[in-house]
Amino acid sequence: MKTFKIVSIIGFIGFATISCSPERATIVQGKSGVQLWSETCMRCHNTPSPADFNDADWSTIEMHMRVRANLTADESKKIFDFLRSAN
Amino acid sequence: MKRIILPLIAMFFVSNLVAQQDSKPSKTQFMIRGYGSAGFQALNDEGEKESSFNNGTFAPIILFKFSDKFMFETEMEFAYENGELETALEYANAMYTVNKYITIRAGKFLLPYGTFMERLHPSWINKLSSVPLGFGHDGIAPSSGVGVELRGAFILNGSRFNYALYSTNGPTLNDGNDEPEEAGILHFDNYEDNNKNKSVGGRIGFLPFTDSSTEVGFSFLNAKVGDKDSNYKDVSSNLIAYDFSFVKKVNSLGGIIDIKAQYNTSVTDDAIYIEVHEDGDEEEYTFENSSDSFYAQLSYKPTMSASNFLKNIELVGRYSELNTPEGAEWESNVNQTAFGVNYWLSWRSAIKVNYQIADGTGGHGGGRIDNKIFTIQWAFGI
Ligand code: HEC
Repeated sequence: MKTFKIVSIIGFIGFATISCSPERATIVQGKSGVQLWSETCMRCHNTPSPADFNDADWSTIEMHMRVRANLTADESKKIFDFLRSAN
Repeated sequence: MKRIILPLIAMFFVSNLVAQQDSKPSKTQFMIRGYGSAGFQALNDEGEKESSFNNGTFAPIILFKFSDKFMFETEMEFAYENGELETALEYANAMYTVNKYITIRAGKFLLPYGTFMERLHPSWINKLSSVPLGFGHDGIAPSSGVGVELRGAFILNGSRFNYALYSTNGPTLNDGNDEPEEAGILHFDNYEDNNKNKSVGGRIGFLPFTDSSTEVGFSFLNAKVGDKDSNYKDVSSNLIAYDFSFVKKVNSLGGIIDIKAQYNTSVTDDAIYIEVHEDGDEEEYTFENSSDSFYAQLSYKPTMSASNFLKNIELVGRYSELNTPEGAEWESNVNQTAFGVNYWLSWRSAIKVNYQIADGTGGHGGGRIDNKIFTIQWAFGI
């Protein structure tokens, strides 16, 4: 069990290091709100449409989801700005 | 219960005052949301059949947003079970975003121990009408805690990371004094601590691909669990969980593939418990107190189908197992396979038709476990 833990922690860090690269950073930074919306919400539940809520509700949900789903501040801002602009 | 509700109500009023002191008009936003379910179940337990309408649950959620940084969330749960209305406070906590990378939460919150309880258990999110073995009642994974937590997320050179670190009252050990058949089990729902030692836990999640399709997570929880005035005061537990998630729209398959898995282990220091025989004699015994559980779930939703009916259909399969310590009064080795077909009425409402088979030994009866359950559940979010 101990070896398993150590191996998995080292593997995790190794994998994390390898997967970080400047090209990927540009791809991720360049993602639009729509793109992030279509990739992010479905990780946990079906994706709601912009029209499902009004602006005030979206901003309450924005904070709720940013914290609960542990989204980055920048990405959650992009997503919810999109949802508010398209409802 | 009062011990937590009163401070939270106080916190709400104080924070409301603070929010109102801003020179701008109040920006407090208030939202009542929630979810519920109702269903029918037919059980075949080793040949004995019964069927009933059951599982009526309703869980209202209240969200108050005082400012862009400060929010309060609470969920109550009402369940109608065996002819009785049961209520529970699922969570009630305040959260404050310190900066882009750190949010602090205090109160009762769902624990980021793996992902199932924190992210996937609400009936409109869970793709099956039951929870995997190892969670919920008689489970080995904690679901919520009372304490404080720091959490946040960041992107490092194109990879997303998220973290949570918390300290709560922590689990307590059932030493078997009142319930000898539960000696060695951990209880997780504690408003009061049984010792001065707070538990420490956390999770780190890592999304290696730019499309966020995959996440792997590692969680831990360490705590002294014995009562401070007992022989068990030095007994500690060490819980670890690994979780995995893959969700992606795959064009060649015409829909969304969703894979979720979590492995939990729980190891408690050896301790000596007392067994009381029928004739009143007492006997000391011990066992290696380690348990584990695992589940993996695969689902597919043909979202790209031209047919409006097929688009909303989802197929799910899940395997789970639970192994509790050999030699404990609650020793069990069970596995469960569940299949489901869901029809989504909206993004937050589904009719789930499930068939679930459990097989193994142990549990509260101590004998063989062999049952098949057919359920139809309507789950809805509001
Ligand atoms: C990591 C998992 C996760 C992700 C990713 C996620 N959600 Fe959620 N979401 C949840 C959970 C869990 C709940 C249920 C909260 C509860 O009932 O306590 C929820 C609830 C909601 C609700 C119901 C109202 C509320 O706030 O409870 C809305 C609306 C919502 N999510 C929108 C979104 C949107 C939009 C996205 C994409 C940006 C998103 N979610 C991404 C886990 C997630």
